[in-house]
Amino acid sequence: MESLVSFLSSNAIYIVLIIVLIVWVGVFGYLFMLDKRLKNIESEMKGENK
Amino acid sequence: MIWKILLFLIIAFVSVAGIAFPIVEKPEFWYQFPLIPGLEENAKIIFFHVPTSWLTVIAFLMSTIYSIKYLRRKDLIDDAKAHTAAQLGMIFCILATVTGAVWAKFAWGSFWSWDPRQTSIFALLLIYGALFALRSAVEQEEKRATLASVYSIIAFVTVPFFIFIMPRIMKGLHPGSADDTHSGPVVDFKMNSNMLLIFYLSLIGFTILYYWMWQVGYKSMIYKDKLNKQF
Repeated sequence: MESLVSFLSSNAIYIVLIIVLIVWVGVFGYLFMLDKRLKNIESEMKGENK
Repeated sequence: MIWKILLFLIIAFVSVAGIAFPIVEKPEFWYQFPLIPGLEENAKIIFFHVPTSWLTVIAFLMSTIYSIKYLRRKDLIDDAKAHTAAQLGMIFCILATVTGAVWAKFAWGSFWSWDPRQTSIFALLLIYGALFALRSAVEQEEKRATLASVYSIIAFVTVPFFIFIMPRIMKGLHPGSADDTHSGPVVDFKMNSNMLLIFYLSLIGFTILYYWMWQVGYKSMIYKDKLNKQF
């Protein structure tokens, strides 16, 4: 862990990369939530057609 | 369709340029960023961290606007729009906090140091967290929408103070604090024109991305409500 911290502090560009990754994880999480909601809608619509 | 292609191009360009363009002491070419003392390579976070807090403000503002609309017209579609905007605002608020904390570990030495900026965003997270607690506590739709709208309008009053005013008038570690001698107030960036251009492109790109996420979000919420009402 200590070596990782010292590696990152001497190679600051990787910190920026981690930060970009965190932002994309957030966007991905939102997409995941939307997907769940749409699946709910889908299954309800299928139930309606029967 | 065109704005979606534009979004792709902007985000792709910002991601590549924001990470790959070198930081040098005296920029000579258009692709070089100036060195900001005290920030160095860390300064590149500005293309990804600042847009998240920018979107927090935009999303909470949209939530307030649609809350006012709901109170005037009592249309549940406006409530779905306000709710989705608040959700997105919360996501981006958390992202701004987390990305800031990771950066702080290397710029300031620890993940969390109760800097005015960190304290204010923490207060904001609590205030808007309560909005979701309020929503989940009320069963009846109209009542929930009315209560959430009123709360959202009151909560937004604190946003300009917590994001724009308090961290700037107080001394702190965050760039742009009152005693910051390196990068100066946030409005007076020590950036050259190409760094500013990429920064603004990043803000525009993330705003379009937010708009897209918001649109898909509230549409799915409206259809879910419609279906629920049929049964």
